[in-house]
Amino acid sequence: MMNENPVALAWPEKGNEVPKAVFQREDIYRLELERIFHGAEWHPVAHVCELAQPGDYKTMDVGEVPVLIVRGQDGEVRVFVNACPHRGTQLKTEARGRAKMIECPYHRWTFNPQGKLMGAPGLQDFPASFQKDDYGLRQVRSAIVHGLVFATLSDETPDIDTYLGVSAGTIGRVFGGEGELCLLGYQKVKFNTNWKEYSDNEGYHAPLLHGAFRLLQWQGGKGEILATDRAHKVTSAQLNHAPDNGYLNDYSLIEKFDKNQPPESIVVTLFPVTIVIRHLDTISVRYAIPRSPHQTEVHYAYFARADDSEALQRHRVRQASNLLGPSGLITLEDGAVFNRLHAGSRSPGEVEFQRGVTDDYHYPRQLQQNDEAGNLVRWEHYRQTMGFERG
Amino acid sequence: MADLQVLHHIDELQLRYIRALDLRDMEAWTACFTADTEGYRCVSRENHEQGLPVAMMLDDNPGRILDRAKFVQDVWKGTFEDYATRHFVQRLSCRALDDGAFEVHSNVLVTYTTQGGGSEVLVAGAYVDEVVARDGGYGFRRKDAILDTTTPARYLVYPV
Repeated sequence: MMNENPVALAWPEKGNEVPKAVFQREDIYRLELERIFHGAEWHPVAHVCELAQPGDYKTMDVGEVPVLIVRGQDGEVRVFVNACPHRGTQLKTEARGRAKMIECPYHRWTFNPQGKLMGAPGLQDFPASFQKDDYGLRQVRSAIVHGLVFATLSDETPDIDTYLGVSAGTIGRVFGGEGELCLLGYQKVKFNTNWKEYSDNEGYHAPLLHGAFRLLQWQGGKGEILATDRAHKVTSAQLNHAPDNGYLNDYSLIEKFDKNQPPESIVVTLFPVTIVIRHLDTISVRYAIPRSPHQTEVHYAYFARADDSEALQRHRVRQASNLLGPSGLITLEDGAVFNRLHAGSRSPGEVEFQRGVTDDYHYPRQLQQNDEAGNLVRWEHYRQTMGFERG
Repeated sequence: MADLQVLHHIDELQLRYIRALDLRDMEAWTACFTADTEGYRCVSRENHEQGLPVAMMLDDNPGRILDRAKFVQDVWKGTFEDYATRHFVQRLSCRALDDGAFEVHSNVLVTYTTQGGGSEVLVAGAYVDEVVARDGGYGFRRKDAILDTTTPARYLVYPV
């Protein structure tokens, strides 16, 4: 049986309880890498605008597997394993770059940006059976949705449309519909937290945490949460206009500048760990990479629309930098909670979800904006994928 | 190179700046900038070298510098896990600009100590500053902290 479990864990019978051990145990983490990060899930690794020109590349990790995302001379974006097919040497070391050819430093095998092996010194001494065409870069299964490049290491992952369900359309809404994006930059940070504590609490939670909302007299508007079949979560909320009550010296920080859209917050929390978000005028993908049971690295990538005015683009940069990044007015407090949840989950027992739970044994799929129960669909998918039995 | 008297004032300003941060004294931090400052920017070298404008902190006018002090002292109070820093700064060059300001380049290394008592490197990087004499003192017309550390070991609460 596929889900027969080498790792023993007693899962509570009640649907709103999650054992804290899942945030701490090394053996569970190893199984997560195998079944989730290297398993039948799609993982966003780049937006095509991060690779604007032919030969542009970006390095990322899918779980523990290093990948190289490259735009070929033919304009197509492909995902490869970032290791030479010869002896396995890492090919590219920097986060991003541009190259006409990809050369392995060890034996100088060279590949074109489409991944084809172009040359290998000493080829005349290779076995007669050696075919250059068999030694292109190892391509990883990939798909592109609204410019977002997804990769999966498993052949069993369903096709991307089935996988994303309605969240695909919401990703398009986050990016602002048709038209191209351009990259504004990154913020990168490590949190001392488990990836599930990060994804459970990032982009969703009660506004009680945020001192800024109180000080700015900033009340949330109407909103809703929808969980998809594959445990992705779409949260959308109208943002009420925050009055300029004089608290901030520079009110533009929380201003809605782009009048073509209402002030809103749209968050797609993709299983397992990626957040695609538009909040006020920031458009962002938060790529997260689990590094251990106790550490999660997050790359916040920010985008502008290619047709933005210079003033709107500038506003997006200022809002991205001071409102929604790891040191941003709102988001810093999220980081503090990720770390404190992880420190707290060393204690025995379960974490519980309460708000929005209508029934101890079922998982509502459609919820109110601040309901905690929206995460239970994710937890049920997790439990089944990991093969943990209830009761 | 500026004369010794000027260098002395510039170094004093830089030391006043890092002392303010190590003491977590945000008022003293804001006081290091001129009243009409173009601001403070804390940015990864990765973004900086690729011409990508997003920063970790982008306080590009005097109001945003005052707002940052409010975030730390007021908004985030009681939420974040506090830490203490030690900033080590070393001036590398100082050059007079045409308008009487000085462009100063320095190395900076910042350690942090958690509430549990462990210490590690928070960030390594460089300051690129514009310093001017104003109202009988020296202040930053502009300060850029460019972080070699692309991915700091924890989220930054205080400016660097």
